[in-house]
Amino acid sequence: MIRDPEILILGAGPAGVGAALALADHGVRALVVDSGFAAGGQVYRPMPDTFAPNGTPGLGPDQEEGARQRRLLADSGVATAFGRLVWSIGTDLRVDALGPDGPEFWRPKGLVVAAGATERVVPFPGWTLPGVMGLAAATILLKSQCMLPGRRVVVAGCGPLLFAVANAVVKGGGQVVALADLAGPGTWLRAMPALLGRPGDLLQGGAWMARLAAKGVPLMFRHTVREARALGAGLKVSLGAVDANGRPMRPARDRTLEADSLVVGHGLIPSTEALRLLGAEMYFDAEAGGWVPRLDDDQRASRAGLYAAGDGTGVRGAVGAFLAGRIAGLTAALDLGRIDAGQHARAAGPLRRRLAQARRFGRAMSRLMAPPSGLYDALDAHTVVCRCEDVTRAEVNQALESGAADVNQLKSWTRCGMGPCQGRMCGDTVAQIVALRTGSRAAAGAWTARVPLRPLNVEALAGDFDYDDIPLPTAAPL
Amino acid sequence: MSVNDKARIPGGETFDAAVVGAGVMGATTALFLARGGMRCALIDAGGVCREASGVNAGTLTLHMTRAALIPYAMRGWDMWKNAPDWLGGDPGVCTTDGLSLAFTAQEAALLEERVEARRAQGAPIEIVTASRAREIEPGLTDDARLVAHCPMDGYVTANLTGHTYRRALVEAGVRLYENAPVTGIEAGDGGFRLAMAGVAPRARRLVLAGGVWLEDMLAWLGLRIPIKALVNQLIVTERVQPVMRSVLGIASGLLSLKQFANGTVLVGGGWQGKGDRARHTTEIVPDNLIGNLRLARYVVPALAETRIVRAWLGFEAETSDALPLVGPLRGIAEAYAIGCVHSGYTSGPYFGRLLAQRILGQEPEMPLFDADRLLATP
Amino acid sequence: MSLRIANQVRRGPAVTLSVDGQAVEAFAGESLAAALWAAGRRALRQSPRAGTPRGVFCMMGACQECLVRVDGQRALACQVAVYADMRVETGAAT
Repeated sequence: MIRDPEILILGAGPAGVGAALALADHGVRALVVDSGFAAGGQVYRPMPDTFAPNGTPGLGPDQEEGARQRRLLADSGVATAFGRLVWSIGTDLRVDALGPDGPEFWRPKGLVVAAGATERVVPFPGWTLPGVMGLAAATILLKSQCMLPGRRVVVAGCGPLLFAVANAVVKGGGQVVALADLAGPGTWLRAMPALLGRPGDLLQGGAWMARLAAKGVPLMFRHTVREARALGAGLKVSLGAVDANGRPMRPARDRTLEADSLVVGHGLIPSTEALRLLGAEMYFDAEAGGWVPRLDDDQRASRAGLYAAGDGTGVRGAVGAFLAGRIAGLTAALDLGRIDAGQHARAAGPLRRRLAQARRFGRAMSRLMAPPSGLYDALDAHTVVCRCEDVTRAEVNQALESGAADVNQLKSWTRCGMGPCQGRMCGDTVAQIVALRTGSRAAAGAWTARVPLRPLNVEALAGDFDYDDIPLPTAAPL
Repeated sequence: MSVNDKARIPGGETFDAAVVGAGVMGATTALFLARGGMRCALIDAGGVCREASGVNAGTLTLHMTRAALIPYAMRGWDMWKNAPDWLGGDPGVCTTDGLSLAFTAQEAALLEERVEARRAQGAPIEIVTASRAREIEPGLTDDARLVAHCPMDGYVTANLTGHTYRRALVEAGVRLYENAPVTGIEAGDGGFRLAMAGVAPRARRLVLAGGVWLEDMLAWLGLRIPIKALVNQLIVTERVQPVMRSVLGIASGLLSLKQFANGTVLVGGGWQGKGDRARHTTEIVPDNLIGNLRLARYVVPALAETRIVRAWLGFEAETSDALPLVGPLRGIAEAYAIGCVHSGYTSGPYFGRLLAQRILGQEPEMPLFDADRLLATP
Repeated sequence: MSLRIANQVRRGPAVTLSVDGQAVEAFAGESLAAALWAAGRRALRQSPRAGTPRGVFCMMGACQECLVRVDGQRALACQVAVYADMRVETGAAT
C-alpha cells in the first residue's frame, strides 16, 4: 500500500473503481479505501473467495460486471486499502481510518468521494423485529451469500428491487407469500419510455413479473405493510391497500399472512456524510433520493480538491456511477496538471453522453423507488422512528410541538439519531416528519455531520500505549 | 436604519431589557429579569442553549473551577441541584461524587497545590486513600498515584438544557427571538435599538451574553475587549452497561469523564479542535481525539470495550486573565455583559441571577467581575 | 430445508463456531450475519432503551443492529467473515 497518494478515493464501488481507472490511465498515484474486503460496492458485492459458483450462469449480469471491474482495478495497479473504516476527513483533506493494524491516515492532494447509498425503509409497527430486513439486505444475502432471506417471505415496498428479490427467492427455492408494491401497474407503465433506454433491464423486469405471476405469487399493487408481529419464530404480516399517495384505504380488507420473514425497502438514500463533514455545498433533490452535493459538469464539489461521483451524489444506478467516477478521475488528473483541458474534453465528452443516457434511466428508477408522502402521514404515534434509541413518532411530535424547529434541535431534545447508526436509519423519516411542519425538506435541514463517520472500538483506536504516550496539553489555569 | 423607520417595522416594540445571547447565562439573566417584573426580550442567532450551553460536557464540578470562582460555583451547583424550584424542570441534573486524579509525581504535586487553593476558597475537596477512591469509583484504574475527592460534583445533560430553559422562559413571559441574528446596536437617548432582519426592537437596558461572539458585540458599542475562543472537544460512546458512577478528572483539568443514566459515556476535558467563530465552523483534530480517548481509557479500563459514536466541538470564551466578564459596561448607561466564566456550566446560572439582581437595582449577593480591567487601551 | 441455496455455489470448507457456547455449523468465508441467520439465530441483541429484540437488518454495516462480540471484541456480524472456532456472543454487546 502507498503512504502518500495524490488522490484518495473513498469507496470501491463502481464510481470509485471508475475514478481509479481514469487516474491510473494518466499516471496519478491513487489509493482506493473501502470498509469492505473487495471492490464492487454493494451492487457488485462478490461472493466470499472461499465460494465457487457452480458454473450455473444466471447469477446475473451484475456478478459478471463486478468481476470485470475487480479485474480492471487489479490490472490498473491502483493501490487499495480494504477493511478500513474512514472516520475523519479534515478540511486539509487529511483522511483518518481505522484498519486491521490500527489507526492510520493519509494526506492526499485530492479526494474523490464515492460513498454510495444506504437503503430507505419507512417505519411501520413491527419494523424492528428480527426477521424484518431491507430489500438491499436480502439482495446481499441472495447474491453474495447464496442464501434465502426466508423460506416463506413477504416482499414489500417500492421500486425495481421488489421484483428482483422476489424472483431470486423463487429461483432459490423459497416461497414468496405475497409481493406488496406501493406502486400501481400504471406507475410502471408511465416509467416505460425512460426504461426503454435500457431494454435489457426492461425485459428482465417484465420476465420477473411474468415468472412470479406464473408461480402463483400474489402481486398486490397499491399495497403496503400495515404491521408486522412476532409469531413463534416467524412473523404475522398485515398488508393493506393504499391510494396513489400511499395513504391507507379500505382497512377492513387488510390481509394478514404468516411468513418467516418480511423483506421491505423504499428506495435508496445517497450517503453524503463525508461531503457534509467537509462543508460541501448541498441541496435537496427528492428525485435523487435526498440531499446531494452541488457538482459542476466535471464532478467537482464546492471546494478545491474535492470530487464526488456515483449514487452518493444522487441515486442514478451503477452504470452511471462508473461513468461519473471516470469523469471525476479525469478531472482530478486535469487539476493535478497531468492532462490538459483538450485531453480532458476528448476523454470526458463520450463518457458524459453515455452518462446522460444512464441518468435518464436512473431517474426513472429513482422515481419508482421514491416512497409516496402518505406513508409518513400514516405513521402512528406508537411506531418507533429511531431504531437505536427507540424514539417514537409521538415523541418526535411532542418535541415539534414544544418548538423544535429543525432536525438537529429535534435530535438534541429526543436523542433521535444519536445512537450508533448515527441517524442513517431514521434521518430521512425524521426530516420528512419535520418537513410536514416546516413546509419543506430544505427548511427541516439535515443532521450535522460528525466524526467518527462510523462507530469505532475504543480499544482499536487507542491501541497499546503507556501513560507517557498520551500527548497531554498544558494544564488549565487554576 | 434610522429611528424614523420604527413605525413601519413590525414588532419594533420597546422592552425593559433585551438580552442578546440565549445560552445558560443570558437565559438565566432574562428569566430572573422577567420574574423581577421586566418586559424582557431574549434574542439569539440560533436557538436557546444551542452553542456552548447545549453542546459542552455539562460538568458541575469544583475540581476544575478556578479557585477564585469556587464560592460562585458552589452556589451555582446548588441552583442546578434544585433546578425544578427555579427553572421549573430538570435538564437531567445528576449530582454525584467527583474525583481528580494524578498519575505522575508532577501531577501529584499539581493536585496537592490545587486542592489546597480550592479548599482555601471553601471547596469541600480532600485527598483520599486509594482504597477509598476505589470504593467511590469501582471503575477506576489501579494506577492512580494521588486522588482528591469532592462530594459536590455531577453534571447536567447539556442537550436537554435548551428544552428546559425554553419552557421556563416562555412561561415567565420572556419574548424569544430565535434564529434572529443581531447585526448591530444603536445606543441612543434612553435606550438601545437592535438591528435585526425584519424587526428592530428597542430596549431600555441591554445585556450582551454572546459567548465567544461577545468581542464582536462589545465592538457594536465601541468597546474593545479581546476574547479568546477555545474550541473544546467532546466525545461520546454508545449506550453501554454501567462502567462508572462518578465524575472523573485529572489534576491538570484535561479530563472530564462521566457516564449518563442512559449508559452513554462522555469524554471531554478541553482538548482542542480547530474552529473559526466568525464562519461558525469547527473541526476535530484526530490526534487530539485519540489522545483524549487514551486518557479516558487509561482512567476507566472498561472503556476499552465500548465504541465511540460521535465527537463534536463547542466554543468557550476566555478573557485575557481567564476570569469572568459579568457586570455593567462603564460609560454606557444600562449596558451589561455576562460571559467568559471558566467552568461556566457550574456557576453559569448563579452569575445570571447575580447580574439580574444588579439590573433590577438590588445589591448582588456576591461581587461581579468588572469589564474595566479588560478594556484594551485604544 | 436449509436457507443456503445449494445448487448455485460450492461453498468452502465447513467450520464450527461457538455461539453463546453452542456449536453452530457454517462455511469458511461466509458472512457471520448469514451464518447466524441460517442457524435460526435471528435475535442478536436487545435495543438498549426499550429492550426489544433486534437482528440483521441492513447487511451493509449501516444500521448497527447485528452488533455482537467476536472473540471478545464488538463487531458487526454483517462485516465479519466466519472462521473455524470463532467465538461469538450475542446479547452481550450493550
